[in-house]
Amino acid sequence: MTPEERDALAGEYVLGTLEAGAAREVERALAGDAELRGAVAWWEAAFAPLTSFAPEEAPPPDLWARIEAALPGARAAPQRQGFERWRFDHWRPNPWRWLALGSSAVAAGLAALLLLRPAPEAPLMTVLLTNRDQPAWLVEADRGGALRLAAVNRQPVPPDRVMQLWALPQGATAPTSLGLIAPEAGQYSVSTTAIRPSPGMLIEITLEPPGGSPTGRPTGQILFIGRLSAASGS
Amino acid sequence: MAAEPDLARLLGAVAAGDRGALRRVYEAQSARLFGLANAILRDRDAAADALQDAFLRISQRASQYDPTRGAPAAWLAGIVRHAALDQARLRGRELPSNDPALGDAAVAPEALERVSASADGRKLRECLEGLEEKNRHGILLAFIHGLSHSQVAARLSLPLGTVKAWIRRGLLQLRDCMS
Repeated sequence: MTPEERDALAGEYVLGTLEAGAAREVERALAGDAELRGAVAWWEAAFAPLTSFAPEEAPPPDLWARIEAALPGARAAPQRQGFERWRFDHWRPNPWRWLALGSSAVAAGLAALLLLRPAPEAPLMTVLLTNRDQPAWLVEADRGGALRLAAVNRQPVPPDRVMQLWALPQGATAPTSLGLIAPEAGQYSVSTTAIRPSPGMLIEITLEPPGGSPTGRPTGQILFIGRLSAASGS
Repeated sequence: MAAEPDLARLLGAVAAGDRGALRRVYEAQSARLFGLANAILRDRDAAADALQDAFLRISQRASQYDPTRGAPAAWLAGIVRHAALDQARLRGRELPSNDPALGDAAVAPEALERVSASADGRKLRECLEGLEEKNRHGILLAFIHGLSHSQVAARLSLPLGTVKAWIRRGLLQLRDCMS
């Protein structure tokens, strides 16, 4: 790559016009390429005055609490024990909103499963939520690439649409398809080598045309979404 | 808002694992950064998710911030903009490039006036004004509203290849002008 190409690529990356795959390649290259890092930093500084275009706006008041809760090793309040403690340790990375499962049977069942499970190879788990924060699917994943889903609150799918499962590893910009889930299915299992389930990975189910997304990327509404976290303290 | 040297010092403390320092960065910068994310996403829930992702990245990557290469506020803005762009892609949502409100602020003369409030801003403004009008509009739309090449093309009614080439040429002209 000539210095000119590198500078132009870094400029496009900072500008944000690169298509997702190309942006991800730049991000990968950044770690080992000091010149590219320098070029990106130069453009960020050059364009910094343009950030004054966006009017300042106060974020939602609970946002800091959400961020703090999602930080690795977030401390649980000391008096919390058992299920309460697990909730506070493991539900925080939820990408949408604080999850208040309360005393639902789903939560109790999950908690029992977690408490009974031996610690060493902690599975990864999450509950996919609807856009109203209703639990819809339990997800269990192992780090080798197997995922198991069980519906806890089956919802009708329009007759001309299918559900498609996706995973988005942290740091990735494009999700990977993990297949189609039949509308009437209450369970779904898949084993993949395309991604390695890890804490923080987003799992989502979108509504797609028959046969799945024609583009290889989600095209329809996100029905359910959740973020994997380790089932034992980490 | 924390002064720049203070932010740089706080980022050093964040890199060392100081949660309190991260919180002070948040308190000093969250309104500015949330505004940036919302200018791209135009959805407060999505912008909040983007800011959350951005602060997790800030806590992980604070050690990569190099004060000799730029101001901390610019580094923070870069992380937030990319978190917002990722959020837009993740949600599989096309940004509405035909929104009539979109971009008008970006190209209004008084908006360029605001950019010139600092010496760096004056230089950037001079260099932007040296570009052909459509190159300038394309770059401003992309930076401020997160439009992709194809969205800028739709907005300016130009072929995609033309927009890519113009933005690239505009960037290289900017680089030469500002270096």
